[in-house]
Amino acid sequence: MEKILAARLGLELAEPISFLIKSSFFLIACGATLFVALASSYPAVHDTLHNVRHALAVVPCH
Amino acid sequence: MSLKFLSALCLLAALSLSLGDNALAADPLNIYFKTSPVIENVRPFADPVNLSVLVTGADGRPVERGSVELRLDAPRAGSWISTDIPLVEGTRLLEARLPLRQGRANWKYLMPIRGQYRLFVDAVSEDGRKSSQVFEFTVSENRSKWFALSGFSLALVLFGFAAGRVFTSAKSSSALLLIACLGLGGQALAAADAEPTNYAAHLDIEAASVGKPSRVHWRLNGAAANSPAALTLSITHLEKEKIVFAVERLAILGEFTLNFHFPDGVEYRVTAVAEFQGRAPVNVERIISVTGVEPPKRAMIPALSYFLALIALGLVIGRWTKRHVAT
Repeated sequence: MEKILAARLGLELAEPISFLIKSSFFLIACGATLFVALASSYPAVHDTLHNVRHALAVVPCH
Repeated sequence: MSLKFLSALCLLAALSLSLGDNALAADPLNIYFKTSPVIENVRPFADPVNLSVLVTGADGRPVERGSVELRLDAPRAGSWISTDIPLVEGTRLLEARLPLRQGRANWKYLMPIRGQYRLFVDAVSEDGRKSSQVFEFTVSENRSKWFALSGFSLALVLFGFAAGRVFTSAKSSSALLLIACLGLGGQALAAADAEPTNYAAHLDIEAASVGKPSRVHWRLNGAAANSPAALTLSITHLEKEKIVFAVERLAILGEFTLNFHFPDGVEYRVTAVAEFQGRAPVNVERIISVTGVEPPKRAMIPALSYFLALIALGLVIGRWTKRHVAT
């Protein structure tokens, strides 16, 4: 469905460019998730993942 | 005139050099340091270590009376990856003067992080002889943590690998992506003070926060002030139920002071028991809440970069394998 729509609107991209765009967004999403999980001081997140942070040896915590 | 002055100056210089050599040669105290278990088996935040300093005279006999001034410094910050408690790195962990008993001073301590520690020992005997020495020892990281990090790293590579294969296709159109971001919150725990539980002794603890040492001062009150006592003092990490510092039966006169760096923002129990000859022991206990300090966000950058690099590596491998199989 999205392929048909993209083709009609002329939004079809070359495969390498599409891969780059998807990968970039994927990495940004992963970075944001990792930041929240491992660096956020929000109490609910921090308290839940406190032991995980310390268990990874390289993640700063307090 | 000037020649006489020059020769006098030379004589003075030679005399001072020879005196300096003699002073070095007659260095009267030897200081030895050991840990139990041996330092190779010590891991951060695992079990408290028994540390011991032995001070002997030139003849090898333990110094009967005297004291040692101890200063323990945490490992310095690494150039790239930090430890799990970066605020402790490079700070002073402990400062105390302990009396010598048969030439020995013993204490227990829980090493908070991995790396190279430095212990400065200044020994003074009752007859005024002095000596100083610096001991360096390295605490290795817990193996289970390296295993956990390896497992997590592998999971990230596999995650990236799967994404790389999914994102690689013969023909593709635009992609719809959602990014969720969460804000940050702050947390500050206020230090809570408890009332002293015993009338005969008093325990003062400076408001403690991670990142700097706090003064712990114990003293006897009233008639017992300045009485000789055998003091047993311990500091316990309540969340982990581990002793982080302890001294046993220290011969003191009425008071004892210690600068202690609480490495974790949790509650600690400080207990002091003083024993006297022919009197009931005096017990005082306090529970303190140590203010946790958020490590700087820049300390997280290396670890986050490392994790993202692993995902990117997985993406590349995933794409490569998919295209390789397709061709």
